[in-house]
Amino acid sequence: MWYNKCVDLLTVSVTARESAGEPYTLVAITGEADVTNTDELRRLLDEEVSQQPRMLIIDLSGLRFMDSSALHALLRVNRSMDRQGGVLALVSPQAAVAKILRLTTADRLIPVFDSVAAAAAG
Amino acid sequence: MLMAWEAETALTGPPSRRPVGDGPLPSPPPGAMTYRYTTDLAAIRAVVYRYARQAGLPESRAVDLVLAVSEVAANTVRHAKSPGSLKIWYDTKEIVCQIHDEGVITDPLAGHRQPSLEANGGHGLWIVNQVCDKVEMRSDESGTTIRLHMDLPR
Repeated sequence: MWYNKCVDLLTVSVTARESAGEPYTLVAITGEADVTNTDELRRLLDEEVSQQPRMLIIDLSGLRFMDSSALHALLRVNRSMDRQGGVLALVSPQAAVAKILRLTTADRLIPVFDSVAAAAAG
Repeated sequence: MLMAWEAETALTGPPSRRPVGDGPLPSPPPGAMTYRYTTDLAAIRAVVYRYARQAGLPESRAVDLVLAVSEVAANTVRHAKSPGSLKIWYDTKEIVCQIHDEGVITDPLAGHRQPSLEANGGHGLWIVNQVCDKVEMRSDESGTTIRLHMDLPR
């Protein structure tokens, strides 16, 4: 016998922050991001991008796993931010996430930092 | 329901409609565990990770295998209108994960071309080919079976 626990696999939290007087949006993605929750992830990210932030920092430190669907959602955000003259940065990917970023060379396209502070300053 | 022209091409079999892969795969060993899934990919990943570590794969390679299996299973969710099944087994030399669903792959080069980061998708099978030691694929109108092999350290 097995049963489903109704716990969300992915949590996204958004905060408005500031660094040296400059505002930025901090999005923390926690849990596991895969094809089953990419639509929702994309919707949330699109909403934040549409606010036209100067900088969007995605904190990945709580994300255990990311597949290529979720990666494409991030690449999409990167393209949109680029078109808007804004910047996307990723922070602290765990091993599995760092791996897919490296394999696909997405980590050469989107800047990756060790901390939110470094990303905000960079 | 087949359109008239589809029925015709199915009979004559142009390359895009031929089965993918050479000959049947040897059967999995009798002890292989089977896990069925629809959308719970997190559960599949957890199973693969547990087996991978049990079999003796180092952490980094276990992560690779989890990623590969997850990408194949994601294709089930995305493209196959069917549940999928995962079979896992290992011996002293390798660990094997076999994923089967009722989806059809018609491109024999699927996963062999690196997609552009500008494209809207298509990295799944390419990633699988990058991280696994051996990948076998069989696909025909009854479904697709993909077998992923990871060598175990001596």
